[in-house]
Amino acid sequence: MSYAPVLFVFIPIITAIIIYLFKKIRISLIIFASQAAMLIIFIFYVFHLKDNPNDALIVFGGWDIRFAITFYIDQLTLIFVGLTIFMWMVVLLYTYRINKRERNFIFFLLFLEGAFMGLLQTNDLFNLFVFLELITVLVTILIAYKKSGQSFRAGIYYLLINTLGAMFFLIGVIFLYYAYGTINIQIILANIAEHSDTNLVKLAYVFMVGGISIKAALFPVFTWLPRAHGVAQSTISALLSGLIVKAALYIFIRVNNQMFLAANYSMTEVFFWIGATTALVGVAFALSQKDIKQILAYHTISQIGIIMMGLTSFFATAQLGGLLHIVNHALFKSLLFLGAGIVVKTYNSKKVSDIRGVFQVMPWTAVLLIVGMLSISGAPMFNGFVSKSLIKYHDFDGNILKTIIFMLINLGTVTSFIKFSQILFGPKTVKVKDKNIRQHISMTIIALGCLLIGLFYLPIGQILNLDFSYAKLWDLFKFLEYFIYVGVGYLFYRFVIAKDFWINRKLREVSVTFENANYLFIVYMLVLSLFMFL
Amino acid sequence: MNPILTFIVILIGIYGLATSKNIIKSVFCVTIVETGIILLFLNLGNFEEGTIPILTYIGINIVDPIPQALMITTIVIGSTITSLALMLCIKIFHHYGSIEWKDVLNKRSQK
Repeated sequence: MSYAPVLFVFIPIITAIIIYLFKKIRISLIIFASQAAMLIIFIFYVFHLKDNPNDALIVFGGWDIRFAITFYIDQLTLIFVGLTIFMWMVVLLYTYRINKRERNFIFFLLFLEGAFMGLLQTNDLFNLFVFLELITVLVTILIAYKKSGQSFRAGIYYLLINTLGAMFFLIGVIFLYYAYGTINIQIILANIAEHSDTNLVKLAYVFMVGGISIKAALFPVFTWLPRAHGVAQSTISALLSGLIVKAALYIFIRVNNQMFLAANYSMTEVFFWIGATTALVGVAFALSQKDIKQILAYHTISQIGIIMMGLTSFFATAQLGGLLHIVNHALFKSLLFLGAGIVVKTYNSKKVSDIRGVFQVMPWTAVLLIVGMLSISGAPMFNGFVSKSLIKYHDFDGNILKTIIFMLINLGTVTSFIKFSQILFGPKTVKVKDKNIRQHISMTIIALGCLLIGLFYLPIGQILNLDFSYAKLWDLFKFLEYFIYVGVGYLFYRFVIAKDFWINRKLREVSVTFENANYLFIVYMLVLSLFMFL
Repeated sequence: MNPILTFIVILIGIYGLATSKNIIKSVFCVTIVETGIILLFLNLGNFEEGTIPILTYIGINIVDPIPQALMITTIVIGSTITSLALMLCIKIFHHYGSIEWKDVLNKRSQK
């Protein structure tokens, strides 16, 4: 049982190879068997790890720990691994009916799961880079899978700019190796104070965090994300914004909140403002879009900003809120993307103005979409509310400016989802061709997850040994606050957004070329080093 | 070779990424950045009069083997990225009839 983490990496990859080799469609049912096996192994492994805490570190090949390839599993890893297994299960259930004949697609999808598991569990900075690049390659193939011109150009944009980010991460790793003589995360973590005031290690920090900012889609370098979401299948969109972007945030937690914690670089305030800007810009772009998948894509950017605001806080509660918001965002954003996938397929259009009457045509899809919308806008009793109130810990320690920015982000989110919800109302315009039962089952599972976390977050926190008690659900004031948000948001939508003013049209037409994206990245790195060294 | 020189190689690659108008040039600029990184790491692990890290030479001044092991992996990854990117370039040329960023990002697909 102590080698279960290796199985998490290899079960999906071996399953992928079996599906690729055997041409029978019935064989591809093995994906569900493999996911179930992983779930069972995961549950047993959690109990095993509780009894034997020494098994957290796995050294391969019996080498000296400073040079060996190692896996390290702590609670953060376990949360992410559980989330990954859950997400892949529902997504495979959703996509199986559409893609069961596409063996290559399922092959790459499962291979991606294996690579992602490796990224989560590795304890080796270089292997982190390798898995990061592997994920980049696989996601590029999955984005370009439709084989249309648009998907190819989105694919190459994604590939090149993410490779550049990963290369910068590698430079940081090299500097760390030069300073500490090892690339083992736990050893560097224990000895970080020895060299952390040298310029080399400071530069390494800037390079590592700056490099993964591209993958995390932070403010100036998010331009690949809307392009990729615009062309990918809704399954891939759901995974991309639900988990793959979170991989970068996971590395951010490992690097910034754990490895360089003792170094005291006082960069948290800088990253808080980067996160706040990301959130505001994401909301502003989302308000201007007319394509439903683009609206959701820009909301991914704004939610990542909110997560960053939580993760870079000084309070443990707010950091916990950021972590919880990663899980919550994975749930509700994949729910919205999968629902949007059904809507787009039924109506054969992506424009918000063309789609009307989803409630009449597909009532259950509409209900699930409403659950997603309530969660993302932070309605009480849904999961978004819990993590957002944790992030807003003591109103950011009484800081009025930060509170106002957070309220603006909330208002923008509510407004743009009022715009999104216009697709639900109206008369019946199309006929439903198929019932999509499997898709609805998988989306219902995610929606139940949203409700479960929203209602029973306290018992869940007790099981995980995390303290969520700051979020108060049964507070009449919170309900009132949400209704005020909805009311103001509706007025804002009705009198500003729906009029489609000049600035809205301008924002919609903004498209950053590849050269300018690189300029933005260079400027971003310069700003980071400026704050670091001055 | 001085580590500063390798930084110049990396900077040339980044300059090319920020200025080149052609997709294939961008692909090769990424490759140049990667080459610079490989040279940088090999430099940091190397010293004058060091010998190859093979078991028979132990006891003599051998260079650090870890950078070499890691950089071989990086070379493999780099060739994967380059080949995938060039494949995408071919497909883009088939669809758009051009491999300039400006044409590709603004034009609609011909097929």
